[in-house]
This record gives sequence, structure tokens and C-alpha cells, in this order.
Amino acid sequence: MPQNDTIQDLGLDEYQYHFITEDEPVFRSGRGLNEKVVREISAQKDEPEWMLEFRLKALEIYNAKPMPTWGGDLSNLENVLDEIYFYVRPQEKMERSWDDVPPNIKETFERLGIPEAEQKVLAGVGAQYESEMVYHSLKKEWDEKGVIFDSIEDGLKNHPELFREHFGTVIPSADNKFSAMNSAVWSGGSFVYIPKGVELDTPLQAYFRVNQEQMGQFERTLIIADEGSKAHYIEGCTAPVYSTESFHSGVIEIVVKPGAHFRYTTIQNWSNNMYNLVTQRALVHENATMEWLDGNLGSKLTMKYPSCYLMGEGAHGSILSIAYSGDGQHQDTGGKVIHAAPNTTSQIVSKSISKGTGRSTYRGLCQVHEGAINSKSNVECDALLINDTSRTDTYPYIEIEEKKSNIGHEATVSKVGDEQLFYLMSRGMDEAEAMALIVRGFIEPIAKLLPLEYAVELNRLIELEMEGSVG
Amino acid sequence: MAQSTTLDEPIGGLMEGVTDSLNSDLVQSRATGEPEWLRNRRLDAWASYERTPMPTTRLEEWRYTDLSRKLSLDALTPMEWSERAFDRESAPARMAEAMEADHESSGHVVEIDGTVAHVDLDADLAAKGVVLTSLRSAVEDHPELLEEYLATRALPADRGKFQALNAALWTDGIFLHVPRGVRLEHPVRVTRWLSEEGKALFSRTLIVAAEASQVSYVDEILSDDMEVQSLVSSAVEVFAGNGAQVQYVSLQRLGHGPFHLSQQRTIAGKDATLDTLNVNMGATTARLDLNAQLLGSGANSDMLGLCFGEGDQHFDHNTSQDHVAPHAYSDLLYKGALDGRARSVFRGIIKVHKGAQQTDAYQTNRNLLLSEEARADSLPNLEIEADDVRCSHGATVGQLDQDHLFYLMSRGLSRTEAERLVVIGFLGEVLSKLPLGGVVEKISRAVEAKLNV
Amino acid sequence: MSDTPILSIRDVHAKVADEDTEILHGVDLELGKGEIHAIMGPNGSGKSTLAKILAGHPGYEVTAGSITYKGEDILEAEPDERSKAGIFLAFQYPVEIPGVSIANFLRTALQSREEEGGELDLFDFQDELLARMELLGMDASFAERPVNDGFSGGEKKRNEILQMAMLRPELALMDETDSGLDIDALQVVADGVNKLHQENPDMTVLIITHYQRLLNYLKPHFVHVMVKGKLVRSGGPEVAEELEARGYEEFKTVEA
Repeated sequence: MPQNDTIQDLGLDEYQYHFITEDEPVFRSGRGLNEKVVREISAQKDEPEWMLEFRLKALEIYNAKPMPTWGGDLSNLENVLDEIYFYVRPQEKMERSWDDVPPNIKETFERLGIPEAEQKVLAGVGAQYESEMVYHSLKKEWDEKGVIFDSIEDGLKNHPELFREHFGTVIPSADNKFSAMNSAVWSGGSFVYIPKGVELDTPLQAYFRVNQEQMGQFERTLIIADEGSKAHYIEGCTAPVYSTESFHSGVIEIVVKPGAHFRYTTIQNWSNNMYNLVTQRALVHENATMEWLDGNLGSKLTMKYPSCYLMGEGAHGSILSIAYSGDGQHQDTGGKVIHAAPNTTSQIVSKSISKGTGRSTYRGLCQVHEGAINSKSNVECDALLINDTSRTDTYPYIEIEEKKSNIGHEATVSKVGDEQLFYLMSRGMDEAEAMALIVRGFIEPIAKLLPLEYAVELNRLIELEMEGSVG
Repeated sequence: MAQSTTLDEPIGGLMEGVTDSLNSDLVQSRATGEPEWLRNRRLDAWASYERTPMPTTRLEEWRYTDLSRKLSLDALTPMEWSERAFDRESAPARMAEAMEADHESSGHVVEIDGTVAHVDLDADLAAKGVVLTSLRSAVEDHPELLEEYLATRALPADRGKFQALNAALWTDGIFLHVPRGVRLEHPVRVTRWLSEEGKALFSRTLIVAAEASQVSYVDEILSDDMEVQSLVSSAVEVFAGNGAQVQYVSLQRLGHGPFHLSQQRTIAGKDATLDTLNVNMGATTARLDLNAQLLGSGANSDMLGLCFGEGDQHFDHNTSQDHVAPHAYSDLLYKGALDGRARSVFRGIIKVHKGAQQTDAYQTNRNLLLSEEARADSLPNLEIEADDVRCSHGATVGQLDQDHLFYLMSRGLSRTEAERLVVIGFLGEVLSKLPLGGVVEKISRAVEAKLNV
Repeated sequence: MSDTPILSIRDVHAKVADEDTEILHGVDLELGKGEIHAIMGPNGSGKSTLAKILAGHPGYEVTAGSITYKGEDILEAEPDERSKAGIFLAFQYPVEIPGVSIANFLRTALQSREEEGGELDLFDFQDELLARMELLGMDASFAERPVNDGFSGGEKKRNEILQMAMLRPELALMDETDSGLDIDALQVVADGVNKLHQENPDMTVLIITHYQRLLNYLKPHFVHVMVKGKLVRSGGPEVAEELEARGYEEFKTVEA
């Protein structure tokens, strides 16, 4: 597939990302968040008692915690939360085969560009449509290897011990207000288990989107990569644009056991009225590696700081992120690495682009605990500003308690240079093309790590966004 | 959620930091006999102090310094102004030694326990209109300048709890005015001495350098070790007029015991150069708030800082490079070496306001941990609201470079000797950027003395 | 050689866009199809300014006079329009574009030359790129390096010649292409230009240089001398030799 495509050829125009298909939810909770809603969700899912108690406890914590006063502007969030539905379930049953997927939902996927043919490429498709997995397929040989890639609900039903052992251990409900909220009302998401020593060559992919006006989405994902395993999970999302503000608050928990290698990739392109407040964290054990690859392109406000808690000796964490903030957008993103064991290493690379009135914030924490000798961490933040109304901030927290460690942080801010633009234009590109090329080059070190189809999509999005940046 | 029944601010938690000794009676007594503008300024500042909550670690700027544990305001009694004579012969040894090391100077000030005890100024400079005097005398002799600049544009009371406290309770301090076009060849040297324990001392420095003038100012504070905590609050306001060149150097070499709180604001006019160097060697806790405002286009500020901590010393640096005007330049370099259980915090921000195009702003913080228990926290922040800027920042924390040590040791130096050299080299980079007579030698010696402990 | 000039410069005055000081004080020059011209001049004479305004650099402003290219006034044309019309500027200081490979860069540049809706054939492009690199004696891996990022002076200039080979201009402006090059690199670069000119004898070349040495390898048909924003002398190759022998001083006084 050619990498240099024009927007028309790929059929990517704004219209396609705003479409809405008609569907009828099977169950829809009342607006707002209260105990009744939580009990209803739990009853609808036919959950064990311990989970209901877990949810109710989380609700208490949620109510007790104040709204964060840092990060993005959350002043209108209370109003938004009063108006949204905390649970919508479109269908009664999980689907196992593509043929069984209802036509209207299929249509949505097709418009999102996941043709049937891609099943051959994709290892398994867990697509989250509204709040729950509606479609799931998993390659046969993986079933044989013992890989579990289920909806989170099925994970709870079918693997109760494994589930309970890890659920809520990486991110306790009380971690922050939104993890508490998610713990109370979670619905949908993935449950993944990679058995010892199993290596997967093709990534696990979950495509999901929000499609119900004023509907909150609280996906919950729990991943356990057992000793010596290796896998890559990809989550990508787009959401149609609505006039009222929307809300998404996920919790992603990952346990990377000794010697395992796990990569989690997110490309987030929520519509520009979305509050996207996500907690993502991995516990990384001895000699294990965790990589977060995080692309934040959409939403009104995103607050998301993927974290690696390096718990075992020799653990490695890496967080690579790209943020794009257009008019009215605020991407408050970054990452956290906690070095809690000796000989642990970490790397954070963050690239942000702010255009129009967009604001990109890097917020990061690098902590080295006493005793975590020979820890090494390197943080690099580069910000590109397109217009004089754009804004960028960098807030790196560096807390070092161990002298035998080596920690560095570097950041730069630059604008697209006039001389660069002239050089490219003197080779025949118009200003928007030249701008897009420079921006693509800027994020290239991270984009090249993405699977091809994502990299292509990212390039297309940047081209689209740069169209309006000049003149 | 409970609703407030009145429109007033809630009362709960206010009057924090008002103690048996530090209270409105004290402000009244300090204001007695002062001109009305000053009296009002003190009273307003006190009101501001009362209604501002005591900073806690929940506040971003105080995240790493817990005042409730580090400062016992309740135990302090105010240091009062009293007539003092200064006699060089009978000066305490540390003070005498420090003054001995000062070379050429344009003038001297000696402040003892918050009272200016001695001022001398080169006669030629006095003839050119340079004013170097105690703040108390300046109230009498230069009321119009003080009314304009004292605790108004640089450090008004509403900038924070302790800015308000100082503005309400200061006893004395130093006023320097350099008229238009006058250039001082040698630094003005100030020696401040603290002798009393259990005191709260409030002193201010006001430097007004008019257009195209030039001056360097070295502000050194010392004491012996103390058993009981004293609070030393220094408020420093520096104005550099258009095209002026000003250097402000603070050498904090207090003994063990005191809490030093230095609040500084520098304001640089068009094409002015306003450089600062802050050296923190002493005190048990030292907090620096430095805001460098680049107010005029083409303004320049080099901001240098250096600290060496040992034992239980705690240094907290809170800096701001405040770019208001276009085409201005600021470059910050703060370095810290930490031994024992010492801890250093650096929280710096480059703020580029809308319209401050063509800003060049750089910020570097480097820390060297010399012991297992030492700790360094670094938060080099950027907030950029203009697109045509060049900004970068960097921070590192690490230990002594083993290769460097090995190289030196392979040439026959002992480990201690090699470490000493590397640390001095590390900190020396800062001093080499502001090579003022006397300062470099003094600090190098102090670092060596600490390393030899 | 043809009767209608490909480029015609008439009484051009120019200045830096944000400043008042005029740099070019009325330049007249005509270039015929397939001709090789050289403009020589001391530092600060305005010769690079001339190259930049021909390519449409936004940092300069033409305050008077006209520039017609293939019979059309191009003063209002954007740099990309001029490029598509066949004007190529080899930069004195080529700009770094981190993260963008030379291949990707050239592909984007060539794609932008396609008609609306036209699609560059990637296989043809790849073949062409390899062929051009071979012609210029370049290693294929060169195309995968980011544009000018971390390049030596010589590599940057060779990259300019590669771009020229790929974009096939009708008018090539060589702005101080020899600066910062040792004699070997200079020869490689000159060789490249000669090959391209042999391949397409209709290509017009304007060489801008301080030194005569480049002209030992790139033989101009005409040589002009620019001093203080004006062309003070025009003639055949002998002018360059004259300059080499006597320096610019003489021309400065002539001009005064």
C-alpha cells in the first residue's frame, strides 16, 4: 500500500467521522451517577456479590474525593456528569462470528475502515461498540495456546480466580476520582491473558467508539502478561461529534510478569467535545518490559498519564507519546515512571503539536526510590507551535532519593521555521503540504513504531489538520 | 454541599500565622511615627497576611517544603530595631573573616540583627548622586522614591503570605539608588549578621538603578550555628532602568539552625541587563523565591544559582523567568551538590506571555548526589503562549562521574581529593559565569571547607 | 540558444522585507535558453539576494523593476508556483528537516507537480530516484537519511544537486554552491551539474559565486560582476580570469 496518499484517495473526509448509525439500546440507565445506577449495572451483568461490593465501595470513594484542581479545566464537568447515562448496553449477547454482527453495527465498522478482510490480518477483533463488546474473534491457534482475549464481563464470568487476583490491584479505586468513578460503573473493555512463554506476532486489536449522545463510557481493561510472554495490544477510537459535551473515563490495568514484554498502543481521536480522563498503569516485574505508545489527537480535554511502576530488578518502562491540540483542545498528557527496584531503566519521549488556540501540556513524574540503585531514566519533550495563539506547557516532576542513579530531562519548544517552509516551497510544495511534511518529520521517531495502518492514518489526520493552519 | 450564606470569603482557616508575638499590635508599633503612606502600606500588608492562608504542601509551590514541620512561627519573638554601632575590631570571627575577603568596593553596609549599623560610600559616587543608606533613613530622606518602589511594583504584599508579612513588619534594610548614567566600577558590598536565636527578623533591600547606570551588589548574610531556630526574612527588590546593567549576588552563609526566606523580584527595562547569583550554603532550611521579569524588549537576565547541602539541610528554590516583552533573553543555571541527608528542590518556570515573541529562554538544573541519603527534586517547567520563541530546559540528577574519578585517581589523587576536585569543578561552572572579585574565592573556600568536614 | 530569453530581469531594486536599506539598486540581466551564466561578486554585493528574490524568498521585497520568466511576470508568484514552473534554487545553506527522509521529501515534491487528482507512480519514482543517484555517483542508502539533518557541508550540496536532478528544472540557480566545499567535493558537485546540463542542454544555469574556482569546472558562457547591488561588468569567460588576476578592488572603484 502506498504511504503517500491524498485525502480523497483514502476517502477520509470529515463527514465520515461524524456519522451516526441508528440503533436501539437494550438497556439504558437513568441519567447521573448514584447507588441505584450502580446496583442496576451490576444486576444487569449478573455479577458476583464481591463485584457489587467493590462497585459500591468505589462509589463512596468517588463521592468523597474532590474534583482535581490541576491539569485541564474541569469546571463544567459536574454539569456534564449530571446529564450523562452511565450505562447503555446495545445487545444481549456477545457475538463470536462476523456473520452474526447486526448490519447497522457492521456498517459502522466498515465506515471506520475495518473491512471483513482485515480479520485475516488482525489477530482478534474486540470491538467496543458503546459500552460493551459486541463482536469478538480470536484466531484459532491462540485459543490453543491458551491466550484469553475476552470482554471484561466474560473475563469475570469465565476466569473468576485469575480475574479477582489482579482486578483493582494495579489501580486501586482510591487512586483518583476518576478511577473511583470507573470502578463504580465500569462496563465493557477487554480481559487479556497471555500465558507463560507465549509470543504473539500479530497485535491484539480493539476498535471502539462512543455512539450514544451524552453517554459516558467507562471501559475497563485488565491485561496479564505471564512470565516470558510477549504481545502487543492496540486500542484505537474515533467518536462522532455531538453538540453537548461527552465524557470518557477508562481504567487500564496491566501486569507484566517477570521476563515478559508488553506493548500497549492507543490512538485516541475522540470528537472535540469529549472529556477523556483515563488512568493507565502497568506493574512491571523483574526483567520485564512495558511500552506505552500513546497518540492523543482528539477530545476537548484529555488528561492521561500512562505509568510504569518498575517493581522488579531490571524492569524497563517506556512511554512514547504524540499529542496534537487544535483549536479549543487541551491535551494534558505525559507519563509516570516509578523506579522501585535496582537496575531499572525508563524512557519517556513526548512530542506535541499545538495549533490555533490549542494547548498541549506535558506533565510527567520520574521518581527514583531509595535503594533503586543504578536506575536510569531519560525524558525528552519536544513541542512544536504552529500559530501565535497556540500554547505549550511542560511540567516534569523529578524526585530522586538514590544517588546511584542517572536521571535526565530535556525539553525544547520550537516553531515551524520560515526558512524551512521556504525551502520546501521552493521545491514545489504548497504551504500546507510543507507544513504537514515538517510536522510528520517531527513526530516520525514515534510514528515509525506504529503499525503501518496506524501510521498512515496518523499522517492523513495531520495533513487534514494542517490544511487550515495557514493563510 | 454546604452553601455559604454570605458573599464574604469564608472565615475558617484564616488568621493563620498570627501568633502571640507576631500580631497586629506589633504592626501598629512598627508603624508608629512613620509617614502616613508607609503606615497604610504596613497595615494593608498585615491585612493581606491575615487573610492569606498559610502555604501547605498542597500548594504546588510548596509541594516539597512542609512549613508546618520546618518553621515554628509560634516560638519566635520579633527582632526589634535598636541603635547599634559597628566596630570592626570586635566583630565576630566569621563576620570579620568574610569582610576581610572582600576586595575593592564602591561602598559597604553592615547590618546587625536587622539594624543597619554602618554605611560608607565612595565620596566621588556620593557626589554623582549615588545613594546608599539604611531603609529607615531613606524613609526620611527619599520618601518619593520609596513610596514609588517599596513593596509596590516588585514585591507587593498580595504576592504571597510571606511577602505580606515582610512588608508589614520590616525593621530596616538597605536602599541603593544609582542615578542615570552613573557607573560603579566596584561592587557595593553588604554584610549582614545574625546573632540572636528564637527571633523573627524582617529586612528589605531596594535597588533602583536608573537608565544606563551600572552596578554590582553583593549581599552576604552570616551567623554562627544556633540551637534555636530564627527566621530571617529578606525581601529584595531590584529595578534596572532602560539600558542599565545590574548584578545582584546573594551569598547565604548562615550557620546551622536558622530558616532563611529570601524573596526576590528583579524587573528589567528595555535593553537592560539584570543578572542574579544566589548561593545557598548555610541555614537549616533556605527557601528562595525569585521572579525575574523581563519587562522591556531586549532585556537580558542571566540567573545563576548554586547550593551545597550537608547534614539535614533543606534548600528550596522557586524561580520564574517571566517574559512579558518581546526580544528578551533569559538563561538560568542552577546547580546543587548534596551530601549527608541534605535535600534540594528546584522548581523553575519559564513563562512566555502572549506577544512576547522572539523570546530566548533557557533553564538548566543539575544536581549531584554525594551520599545515599541525599535527595534532589527538580521541576523545570515551561509555559509558552507565543509561537516565535526559542526555549529549552533540562534537568539532571546523578552521582559523581566514575570515569572522572578514575581518571584523577589514576593520576595519583586520593578518592577524597578526586571527589573534591570534581565537585568544585561542577559548582565552579556557575561561578565562572559571574566572576565578581571576592565572590568566587569566598564560595570556593566555603565549598572546600564543607567537603573537608 | 534562443532569441526570447527564458529569464529577463529589468531594473530590479530589492530590500530586506522588514528593513528600509536597499540591497539591489537596479539590476538588468537576460538569460537565454540553455545558457550558463555566472554572477561573481564580493561578500555583501547582493548576489545571493538576487538568487533569493528569483525563487521568491518571503524575507525580501522587490520594490521596483520587473522579472519575467518565460514571458510571464513572476513577481507575485509563490515559491511553490515558481518551482512548479521550472525554477530551481540550490541553497547556499540547505535547511534541515528532521524526521523526513530524502526519498519521502522528493516524492512529496514530485507528487505536488502532478495534475489535480494525478497520482505519482511509486515504482517509477523509485526507479528514477535510483537512476539519478547512480548518475551522480551516490549510494542508494543516502535517500533514506533525513533531509540535511546531520549532513556534512558536502553532503548537503550533493543533496541539492540530487533534488535538481529529480525535479528537472528549466532554470537552475546555484547560490554559492561552492561555499564550504573542499576541492574534491566541489568537483563532484560540478560534475553533477555538468551531467545534468549535457543531458538537457536547454536547461539554463545561473551560478552565483564569490570565487573563480567553481568556474574551472563549470564553464559559463557569460560572466557578470556584481558590486554594491549593481552589475558593473558583463562579458565572456575572460571576465572571470580578469577577476582572478586583479581582484574585486578595481571594479569597486570603477563602479564608484
